[in-house]
Amino acid sequence: MKTLGAIAVIITGALLLYASEDFPSWGDPHSPANQYRVSSHYVQNSFGETSVPNMVTAILADYRGYDTLFETVVIFTAGIAIIAILRGPIDKRVRLRLASERKMRETNLILAQTSRILVPVIQLFALYVIAHGHHSPGGGFQGGVIFGASLILLALSFQLQTALDRVSEKKAVTLAAIGILIYAGIGFVCLLAGGNFLDYSALQVLMPVGAIEARSHGILGVEIGVAFTVAAIMFAIYANLSSHGRMKGGL
Amino acid sequence: MIWQFDLIILGLLIVAAVLSLRSTDLLSATMIFGVYSFLMCLLWAEMAAVDVAFTEAAVGAGASTMFLVSTVYNTTRKSSD
Amino acid sequence: MILNLVCGALLTIGVIIFFGAVIGVLRFPDFYSRMHAAGISDTMSTNCLLIAFAVYQLHDLSWPNLLVVGKIFFIIAFISLTGPTSTHALMHAGYQRRNITSSRPRKKRKRALTEEEA
Repeated sequence: MKTLGAIAVIITGALLLYASEDFPSWGDPHSPANQYRVSSHYVQNSFGETSVPNMVTAILADYRGYDTLFETVVIFTAGIAIIAILRGPIDKRVRLRLASERKMRETNLILAQTSRILVPVIQLFALYVIAHGHHSPGGGFQGGVIFGASLILLALSFQLQTALDRVSEKKAVTLAAIGILIYAGIGFVCLLAGGNFLDYSALQVLMPVGAIEARSHGILGVEIGVAFTVAAIMFAIYANLSSHGRMKGGL
Repeated sequence: MIWQFDLIILGLLIVAAVLSLRSTDLLSATMIFGVYSFLMCLLWAEMAAVDVAFTEAAVGAGASTMFLVSTVYNTTRKSSD
Repeated sequence: MILNLVCGALLTIGVIIFFGAVIGVLRFPDFYSRMHAAGISDTMSTNCLLIAFAVYQLHDLSWPNLLVVGKIFFIIAFISLTGPTSTHALMHAGYQRRNITSSRPRKKRKRALTEEEA
């Protein structure tokens, strides 16, 4: 069976290598993908239409707003599914092992002090990444993951309970739902203001700015929603996975 | 795009992928998978897709390695395959 | 000119220290001495390389370049904090497990033992 698998992998790899001969070269402006009018429209007009210098953010949160909305929903669903699986009845052997192994790990002083210094800085950096996604690489997903990682660092260097005291699991899942609510709510407000769903230029009736600036602000609001969901779900997944869904002990 | 860098990163990528599949100790396989993610991140950054590289560094090398480690800790460390 | 010299010297020092770390990880017999080699030289060599990058940025003084230098110094501060801490965490975990003596494969260890006896 293993040799069969190896042969299949080698044949597929050879075919892929053979096909890669026909690829346009890297960054070729005459390749079909770059010749089509959509991408040239983005390259030429995305700054003028949204006043967001980072084209990736503009496309991700504005032109492809639906896509990112349901990506966020996918992350939310993954978190809920992991919680639902781990909270179910567990095997008897696993329960015995959990009962025997789960004694409180003592907190290491050096680790605790370092993470006491680092965690606020990491969270500040996460907020910077979220808010600065318009001008530099970054945005809701990355900033959310960094924020969730700061909570995971807290749980790793102290006890899991220390992090759960700050953000309990119930609070984390509520925050994740609030994130999606912010995203879909901004889309719905656009609908109420007379535009299409997730067409942020309709928000100009609510803000003292023009249509282009309104799109920029709408993108920021959407990114904040994504960051809420991602950060909360990252922490909820870690808390469940590391404690077998029992919220005690931890890694 | 500097082809020498490309060659080194791609070679290490293949080595990391094969090692993480071949390893029978699941914890070391997880760690090598983290190395794989980081090499992917370098490759994206080198192809000037900095947003993707950022995501790969945060999600692939950071969070998902952490999740895999905690899963290995709660299940078993040895694999027969 | 002087900037180039300083930059090259720092890069060379960093790479030499890093080379020492690599040789130490490959050649030392057990977990603690390997971590000793990796942990001590890792932070120092990375800091040397990063300072070299910062010096290279000073070639033309402008505000964006100085901003990059500031960011590099933030990275240096971060690495100086986290490097020793992670080394300590690994050592501490190894000390608590207590059964880590050698991470070499058994066959090689046996051969090394017989060589020592001979």
